[in-house]
Formats: sequence, structure tokens, C-alpha cells
Amino acid sequence: MSSELVIKDLHASIGDKEILKGVNLTVKPGTIHAIMGPNGSGKSTLSNTIMGHPSYTVTSGEVWYKGQNILELDVDQRAKLGLFLAFQYPVSIPGVTVANFLRAAVNGHRSVEGKDPRETQIPMAQFRKDIREKMAALGVDEAFARRYLNDGFSGGEKKRIEILQMSMLKPSMAIMDETDSGLDIDALKVVSQGVNTLVQANAEMGVLVITHYQRLLNYIKPDVVSVMMEGRIVREGGPELALTLEERGYDFIREEVFGNGN
Amino acid sequence: MATKLPAIASLSAADVLVATEPAWLQTWRQQSLAAFAAHEMPYWRRTDLTAFAFADMQLSADLGTFKIGADAPPGVIVMPLSQAVHDNAALVQAHLGSAVSAKVSKYAALNAATWRDGWFVYVPKNLESTLPLHLIQGFGAGNTLIARNLVILERGAHLTLVEQLHGDGGPYSNVVSELILGDGATLKYTAMQTWGAAVHHVGHVVANVGNNATIEWAAINTGALHQHIEAETNLVGNGSRVDWMAATVAKDGQRLLTAPWLRHVGRSTEAHMDFKTVVKGTGYATFDGMIKIEGGSTDTITRLEEHALHLSPQARSDSIPGLKIDTNNVQKAGHASTSGEVDDEHLFYMQARGISKDEAVHMIVMGFFEPVLDRIPLESLREQVTAAIAARI
Ligand SMILES: Nc1ncnc2c1ncn2[C@@H]1O[C@H](COP(=O)(O)OP(=O)(O)OP(=O)(O)O)[C@@H](O)[C@H]1O
Ligand SMILES: [Mg+2]
Repeated sequence: MSSELVIKDLHASIGDKEILKGVNLTVKPGTIHAIMGPNGSGKSTLSNTIMGHPSYTVTSGEVWYKGQNILELDVDQRAKLGLFLAFQYPVSIPGVTVANFLRAAVNGHRSVEGKDPRETQIPMAQFRKDIREKMAALGVDEAFARRYLNDGFSGGEKKRIEILQMSMLKPSMAIMDETDSGLDIDALKVVSQGVNTLVQANAEMGVLVITHYQRLLNYIKPDVVSVMMEGRIVREGGPELALTLEERGYDFIREEVFGNGN
Repeated sequence: MATKLPAIASLSAADVLVATEPAWLQTWRQQSLAAFAAHEMPYWRRTDLTAFAFADMQLSADLGTFKIGADAPPGVIVMPLSQAVHDNAALVQAHLGSAVSAKVSKYAALNAATWRDGWFVYVPKNLESTLPLHLIQGFGAGNTLIARNLVILERGAHLTLVEQLHGDGGPYSNVVSELILGDGATLKYTAMQTWGAAVHHVGHVVANVGNNATIEWAAINTGALHQHIEAETNLVGNGSRVDWMAATVAKDGQRLLTAPWLRHVGRSTEAHMDFKTVVKGTGYATFDGMIKIEGGSTDTITRLEEHALHLSPQARSDSIPGLKIDTNNVQKAGHASTSGEVDDEHLFYMQARGISKDEAVHMIVMGFFEPVLDRIPLESLREQVTAAIAARI
């Protein structure tokens, strides 16, 4: 069973507007794969579609992971298969504390169909210990555990909480959608360290990092860099491609791919 | 042979008067009976009046059950109202009917004329009671429960009180609660309607709030088939405050209405209302509220929020908020209202974390109600209500 993420000719629309226009992409196990691309090129649409957001309709194509076409799975099944999406814009859920949310998420991952949840749930003491450790490692104040999820959190706090969730759930395939946006310089280091710790602990883990800035890639070092434009992956290269983009912008690629527009 | 019980449609003084009661009360009952006869049927725009038809009601031989959930807090006087009319006659005579008069409606008049029991709670001056007092009212074998509670907090008194209507029976229940808060008093009040699924409940709950007094009111409604509750907070005193929350869950067949009235009368009064509703299946819930800022009220702060969550397409909730301002000296007046299904983005986010859809909906509903449930002062009751809500969603 391959823990490669393989995206084949994926087309997806919102309403009758096609946004993904044939995405082909493979994220190999144990690799860090960066996607860069201009605003509106479809990066978030791609990550949401992989995860199963109900607003996006897949019109054709496949997404394979661990031997399954995951487009056929419910959203929570995809998560239980090991996929994790760190959202570009995490929602706030009033009335649900960070601790209760995380416990439900951990227990959701541990649940087995047909089995009494009481048998599979994480023991409370172990959960408390885990969350304390992970919060400390990510520099998240313990008081956050009792706050309502993302309710009134600053942009950077939300991003840290996304990575806190990732550390607790230990996905085998993580998609990080602009996790660096909103993080201050110190937070960027702490969060990157958190991600690297997870990667080091699991040699099979794949990471898809969406970012606009080379800076994050100094901390989370990509093996592959892909460029997305107008709903397609139009270039693939090594880490040096990110540096080139930082220097030259997207115009030269646009010209190569689409001609000079005339 | 069992004696035939009096039909409510044709009550006479003989059915209503209790020979052993003091003369003033007998007079009061007679006046209330006259008011009952004189009242027109009410115009209830969202409650099905046929569910409360007098033709189907009779007085019950059984007076209902009245229990105290835990020991009464020290210093607080708690006794059946039927006993208090003798033992604390002056207090009862001074306050009975002062918050809910027989003039209010036919159903309030019926209650005044025919109540047989209920609770009398008295907190003496400056007694700061913190232990929760949990009062439970239930049905006996009879067809109609008519009960009346009188709660008096003297100047500077504090009380945490839970009034719960619980159990199967009836089907008719008509309960009045009068809450009298003296100057500087604080009442933390939880009103729980967890009746059985066949009950038709009419309630009148009114709080008169004195100078610098505060009521924190949490209403929780999960039971009954039909509910028509008229609730009222009168911010009579200067500097009086109410923090008023409600959680209502109506599922298949239930029609639950709450009509909260808020009156700003004194100067510098402050009110926060946060009413939350979840409807499912063919459940139907109504918020029919009115905020009135009287002419003499100045520096008023008032805020109303009402939110409804629909768990299925057939479920219905109506919200009819009203605001009437007779002063030009309002400091702040705000209103927010939402109604809709569970947010898809919330569901997606939670499912993306491996939480099943059912569990996600459950957590969202519980989160929605959290601020209200958080007010319930007893852990065991909070669990009971949480389970009741879970069973309905
Ligand atoms: N819910 C939506 N309704 C309408 N249009 C949408 C919706 N979601 C995305 N789009 C459109 O799809 C296109 C791709 O958006 P997407 O968010 O995937 O871009 P992105 O590459 O993530 O951009 P950014 O770098 O700004 O985050 C945009 O033109 C956007 O306006
Ligand atoms: Mg994006």
C-alpha cells in the first residue's frame, strides 16, 4: 500500500466555474514538496479538494493515497487515513474549547467502526500529558486549552493552533496552506521546528507546503518545488526554483507557459 | 365512588376556596376567579390555543409533587406556599400577585384562583447564600398541575436557585413564579422545563428587580409538547441589571414558545439577553420578545441576541423581536439575530480533523448552548440536561 499522494488530471469547479484544470502532482513518502503560485491560481482549492470540501465539485480526475481513490471517502475518513490540512483561514468554533476539540479529534482518529468508543478513547491522563508537551514545544500558553477554538485568536495564534493539532494527530501526509502567513519571525521558527520534529519522527511522512515566500523554505527544506498557475502545475524543480521565483517573480514562467499573451 | 373533579370551564367559588386559608387569601382567590371569568381568551399568535382548551381541563385531586433536590442552604426559608400563607402570612400577603397579577391573562387568573401549592422561598436581609437551592415540581396522577412559587430576596440577599419542572404526567401544567429582588439583591436563577413529552405547559415567570439588584437568569427548555412561557424582567430599580440567557431545543412535534418581556424602568439599568434555539425534525420554536424602555429610564444599556440553529429542513423557528423606546436617553441598544443551518465550514473543519459528522453536529450544538449550560449550578443537573439535549439532536 503506497503512501504516495498521487493526483491525476484533477478538475474541480465552484458552481460552474472551473478552478482546477487538470492538476497532476505526486508527493513521495518522506519528501517535502512545496507549491508556489500567484494569488488565485488554485492552491487553496487544490488543498480543499484533496480534503473533500463540499463546495468544490470534482468533475474528473483521481487522488490516490494508501491504495484508495480518496475522492470516494468522507472527509473524516480521509483524515483517519492520515491526511491533514493546516488551513489558510482556520474557522472559529464558539463554545468548543481547544482541549475538547483536540480530544474529539484524537478520539475520532482512534475510533474503529463497530467498536465501543470507550475502548478506543485516549485515557484522559495521557491526553493531558500529550497536549501539555505539545503546547510547550510550540510555545502556546496553556490557557489556550480552555479557550474556544480560534475564537478571537490572532492570525498567528490560529496558525500555531493548526500546527498544535497536527502535532497531536501525527498525520502521514500533511498539507500546509500558507501556514507562514501571519506568523512573526520567532513563531515561524518555532512552528517550522514543530513540523520538522514530526517529519523526523516518521520517515514515511509527506508534506505539501503551500507558500508565497522563500523564507519558510529556509526552515522547512523542500525536496521538490512546483509552480501552480491558472489551475495547473506548470513547473517542477528543486529547491533552487523557489529562489529563482523570489528573485524574478512569476512573469518569466507565465511567458514560457502561456506565451507573452499576444 | 370517586368525587367528580371540577371542570375548569365552569369553576365556581366552591371549587376554588379553601376553608382553612386566611380570609384575605379567600378574597384574593374570589377576585381572581372573577378576573378569570371576565378575561377574553388571549390572542396567542404562535401558540396553538386548542392545546390549552379549558374544555379539556379539570382541577386535579392530586396537588403534584414538590421536592428539594438537595438540602436547603442555611438561613434560607423554604416551605410549601400552602404553609407559608399561615406561617409567613404578612410576607405572602404583601408580595403574592405583585409580579404576576390575575389581570395579566386568563391563564394567570386561573392560576391565581386555583393554585394549591408551590414553593415559598425567603432570603433574609444581607444573607449571602451560595449553595444552590434546587426545587423540583412534578405531576401527580391528576390531569392539571396548577402551581405557584414566590421567591423573595430581601435587601442585599444572595441566592442561587434552580426551579425545575420535571416528569411525565398531566398533560396540563400552569405554573407561576414570582421573583422579588430587594435593593442590592443578587439572584442566580435557572428555570428548567424538562417536562415529559406529552405535557402542555403554560408558564408565567416575572422578576421585579430593585435598586442595584441583579438577576442572572438561565432558562432551559427541552421538554413538553406545547410550551407557552411568558417571562418578564422588570428593571424597576436604579442600577438594576439582568443577564438573561435561554436554551431551547424543539424536536419532532414539539412547539415551544418563549415570550420574554424586558422593561427598563429605573435609571442606569442594564440588560443582556442571549436566547438560543435548536430545532430538529418537525420541531417548532418561537421567540416572541419585547424590550421596552420607559420614559423615566435614562442611561440605559440593552442588548438582545437571539440565534437559532436548524438541524433539519422541516424544522421551524420564528423570531419576533420588538423594541419600544419612550426615552431619548439610551446609552446603548443593540440587537443581533441569526438563524440557519450548521455552518458547512465548521463541519468541514471538524471532519477534516477526523471527527465524524454526527459527533461534529453534537459538538457544535453543545458549543452553541455552552454559555447557557455553563450557568447551571449543579454538575448532576448539567449532565442531565446535556443528555436530554443529546437525545434530541
Ligand atoms: N468559494 C468560492 N467561491 C467563488 N470563487 C472561489 C471560491 N473559492 C475559490 N474561488 C476562486 O477560485 C480561484 C482560486 O482560489 P484559491 O483560493 O484556490 O487561490 P490560491 O491559489 O489559494 O490563492 P492565494 O494565494 O491568494 O491564497 C480564485 O479566483 C478564487 O476567487
Ligand atoms: Mg490560498
